[in-house]
Amino acid sequence: MRTTVEVERAGDRVRCVLRAGHLAPRVLTQDDRGVTVALVATGALLLGGDHVHVDVRVGDGVALELVETSGTVAYHGRGRAASWAADVHVGRGASLVWDALPFVVSDGADVTRTTSVHVHDEGAALLRETLVLGRDGQRGGLLRSATRAVVGGRDLLVEELDLTGPHIAPGVLGDARVVDSVLLAGRRSVAADGGGARDDETRGLVVLDLHGPGALARAVGTAAHVADVGPLVTRWRSALPTPDAAPPLDPETSTDAPGTPAGTDDRSTTCMSPTT
Amino acid sequence: MTDVHPPTSVLFALLADARLPTGGHTQSAGLEPALLAGLSVADVPGYVGGRLATVTRTEAAVAVVARHVVTADPDERVAGLRAVWEAWAARTPAPALRETSQRLGRGYLRLAHRLWGAHPAVVALDAAVVAERTRLAASVPVLTGPVGRSDRAQPPRPLVLGVVGACVGLDARQVAQLVGYDDVQTIASATLKLAPVDPAEATGWVVAAAPTVEAMAAGVAHLTDPGDIPASGAPLLEEWAQQHARRTERLFSA
Repeated sequence: MRTTVEVERAGDRVRCVLRAGHLAPRVLTQDDRGVTVALVATGALLLGGDHVHVDVRVGDGVALELVETSGTVAYHGRGRAASWAADVHVGRGASLVWDALPFVVSDGADVTRTTSVHVHDEGAALLRETLVLGRDGQRGGLLRSATRAVVGGRDLLVEELDLTGPHIAPGVLGDARVVDSVLLAGRRSVAADGGGARDDETRGLVVLDLHGPGALARAVGTAAHVADVGPLVTRWRSALPTPDAAPPLDPETSTDAPGTPAGTDDRSTTCMSPTT
Repeated sequence: MTDVHPPTSVLFALLADARLPTGGHTQSAGLEPALLAGLSVADVPGYVGGRLATVTRTEAAVAVVARHVVTADPDERVAGLRAVWEAWAARTPAPALRETSQRLGRGYLRLAHRLWGAHPAVVALDAAVVAERTRLAASVPVLTGPVGRSDRAQPPRPLVLGVVGACVGLDARQVAQLVGYDDVQTIASATLKLAPVDPAEATGWVVAAAPTVEAMAAGVAHLTDPGDIPASGAPLLEEWAQQHARRTERLFSA
């Protein structure tokens, strides 16, 4: 069951196609430039044997923001593996912000996370990933996390974090349990001259300017509150493209934007936005 | 002109020798920043293992695939080297580590030009450098980050090492062993300059790591596709490398 969030320009409107899987998309706000969609878990996540797949497509000239209402906990798998995969495509002049909440891997969980991001060379994406090994008092289960970001057809970042045991080596993670990171793909970071980056590094953040148009900020710590890339998420938002506004909307159809339920719980819904 | 190839085991030893004029003496394989970040000498063998499982494995794989593409189809050599180069760059997110690798690459390239300049593998690498320089020039100012700190069109060390390996007839596994051995020996010898350690003990770390180096090399020797190069990251190493690049008082450049 794939969760699908597709947004695209359709004349003077933004059209969305939303399908629910393990996560159900719900439109929170919308205007003529973009949409904010919440991803809501439809049941306990992640259990052993769960395979979550989220497809996100942001059409040309649209701004999409995905928000989560709660973090994700991968529970003890009782011997069964689980996976979480996101496949993201961002078009020309489009942007995606996905400031995801923590992904916690409990003792006994065995999880593979895959994030694939394809961005048009005139688009941009901002993705947060906070990996936490173990709930309170736990050492955490097995986690492999792979990220591939492609901008304009060229690999920007290919990275795997193998947190299944060898990561406790000094230099990899040591005794850290939290890897909080945010990836900016399609734009250079705002403080690429090093001035702002230096300030960030004194707070336990490291900003890595990638070889192409993008940057990765990361904080490695022993608890979620110690290190936090949140300030970078805020700052890098300003680097994203701002889609042009569509022609003015018909007043009658522009009033029911916030809080529109995306549909019933049949897990398959198509919405037009604004609803006509 | 006699076309006698010396036995590769001698040239393998040459390329693994710290006296090779490529600037290896400036390197601690990240050990100096690691010690400054609180690593203890007792943890150095663990540090060696951490690198062999992550950044060094990636570097070895880059060298293996670079060697492969310059020994395969002649028409694909330049495009192949550029693809390996891009794969390396995408798998090396820390600019400090990219710059260090490119600085070392320059040393190996100078040596390659003097000793094997007419070899088709070196000719292909030169063409790849020209193509990369042209691409970067065309994308200025969009792609330039901090200007002037480094020449971004400089090939990284493992790319040049793979080419040199092809020039002297090393096989894929030897190229990977070379990268692994060099990393471990760099750490061991840097420790002697940074902490009070018996040289025999540090050499013992290299001996103890040998099976891990062999296993790592065996694990990447079959690779031929840039897309299959492993990308295991080491977040703390990357963080320490960035901090070290800004230090003014340091013994090793990286």
